[in-house]
Amino acid sequence: MRRWGIILMLLAACVMPSTQAMGAAPQVIVCIQCHAAQPARLSDPVTLWQTSIHAEHGITCNACHGGDPMDAANSMDPARGYRGVPAPTSVPALCGGCHMGVTKHYMNSAHGRALGRGGPTCVTCHGSHDITRASLELISKKNCTTCHTFDKALMIRRAMVKTDGMLKAIEKRITILKSQGIDTDPLEKKLFSLRNRFHAMYHSLDVTLIREESAHIQAELEKTSGAGGAGTGYLVGVIAVGWALLAALLFSMIKKNID
Amino acid sequence: MEFLRNIYNWIDVRLGTHEIITEKRTGYLLPRNVNAWYSLGSVLLVIFCLQIITGMLLMLYYVPDIDKAFDSVSFIMTEIPLGRLVRLFHAVGSSMMLLVLLLHMFSILFMGSYKSPRELHWLTGFFLLLLAMGISLTGYLLPWNQLSFWATTVATDCASSIPFIGENLVELLRGGKQVGLHTLGRFYTLHVGLLPALIAVLIGVHLFLIQRTGVSTPPFGLEDTSNQWKGESFVYEEHPGGIPFFPNFFLQDMISISLYLACFMVFVFFFPNIFIPSTSYVPANPLVTPSHIKPEWYFLANYQTLKLFPSEIIGLTVQAIAMAFLALLPFIDRGEEKHPLKRPLFTFCAVSGILLWIGMTVWGLYS
Repeated sequence: MRRWGIILMLLAACVMPSTQAMGAAPQVIVCIQCHAAQPARLSDPVTLWQTSIHAEHGITCNACHGGDPMDAANSMDPARGYRGVPAPTSVPALCGGCHMGVTKHYMNSAHGRALGRGGPTCVTCHGSHDITRASLELISKKNCTTCHTFDKALMIRRAMVKTDGMLKAIEKRITILKSQGIDTDPLEKKLFSLRNRFHAMYHSLDVTLIREESAHIQAELEKTSGAGGAGTGYLVGVIAVGWALLAALLFSMIKKNID
Repeated sequence: MEFLRNIYNWIDVRLGTHEIITEKRTGYLLPRNVNAWYSLGSVLLVIFCLQIITGMLLMLYYVPDIDKAFDSVSFIMTEIPLGRLVRLFHAVGSSMMLLVLLLHMFSILFMGSYKSPRELHWLTGFFLLLLAMGISLTGYLLPWNQLSFWATTVATDCASSIPFIGENLVELLRGGKQVGLHTLGRFYTLHVGLLPALIAVLIGVHLFLIQRTGVSTPPFGLEDTSNQWKGESFVYEEHPGGIPFFPNFFLQDMISISLYLACFMVFVFFFPNIFIPSTSYVPANPLVTPSHIKPEWYFLANYQTLKLFPSEIIGLTVQAIAMAFLALLPFIDRGEEKHPLKRPLFTFCAVSGILLWIGMTVWGLYS
């Protein structure tokens, strides 16, 4: 009896966490295991990739270079799909394997038409390993003037600023709604689709088309800006707290009279 | 009005309700210097009732299955009319219940109301605190989110430090080697069945004890503040010339309940994320360990204490001794004085203990 009492107290006192680590770390693919230990020329891609949007979304080396990331001995075997460093002219098709809408606009643009004749490919602006998220910041004087003047690029950028701001504001709002336990799934899906349409359009380099499409997207975004906000409501909160305080005051006055 | 009066009369002639109200309520006298702290018990009763009501409403849609629990809670939050409010009432209410329980306990501590002949009142109150912590811990797992899953994994793992029976105890709690379907089943049963029943019974015992011994006299505003009970025979502590429970102190209860509800609703409507962090909205994933696993605020001091010691068993033993000391306080502190300023050593120790607990909680939060 006494022993059970002690056990009960021990349990009740602190059914509490320890500091020991739990669970297993995610498995590292063989490409990274091997390359990370190599001299700078071979390990730099790993370091750069780790900062990329691809790393953030779990897109690893084999997505672009092929091969078997789980088998060290045969990881670079062409029979396992290893293709090494892609040729510059094959880059748009390679990236387009996932980013389909973008490739279509790119191939029809001045950039795409100059492919193989010194024109830029995806990696020229987005980087090859430190792949950056598509954003307005990429359309900069520093990037664009390495090949041509900034005039037209600036027009494109200005045509997209408002839509970009709206997208960012809605993303921020989704994060807040999510943290309040509100179901943002439909809103996120719609935003994902509109953002992709918007980002794909960057690559057309057609200022008129960008202006027209931006207006359409802005109209769609306006519709979503009110969605998903089925929160408890501050006004209801103010009324509820107000009623409770009023009740306290009322009871206090009655009590004073009786006392 | 005539109709209601007729109903009242119909009941009164059969059950003598008027007599109950007159003798047991208006005739039930409390000390003249009774203060607002005495109404915390009524506040706790209201909180417990609210938890029962909101809990039963949640049970209408909650599914205790690891594949459906998270979705069912999300469904309650987003699809059911007022579902989000009911869930917030229940989740925030559990924290508020513990907060008010602690305040009630501290007030009893400083007013010396735990002293003879009220040792059993204190003990039942202490076990009510443990049960409230237990019901909060078991309820924490039910939404089956990342935070609750890992906090429960680590919390149940802690029992493995107990010599000889540790491993078996962990399996008993979890219903297997890992936190999973059987853990959810066990915690659900404890949360909605056994623990509320035990709490209800213990509340009944606590109230019965208060009815039998009478309300203790607070040590403020009196010259003689020593304990009058000599331990020779059973004595009901009467308060001749005191204030009637109804309507005087009943109104004090209503004031405290209204003020509590105002504070409670401030948290529910404006700061719910203090008690339900945003990570609570991520479904449980046994394969992905979050970088920081922290328990609920009321366990943070225990969590931090465990981290201070080189081995878990030492940390557990220290806390068990502290809890045992708290439980047995009325049997250890046999002094007659009740006024906190007239027993400076006790007051110093009690204030230091509370500050230490708060300090460890804050440290645990930011560590």
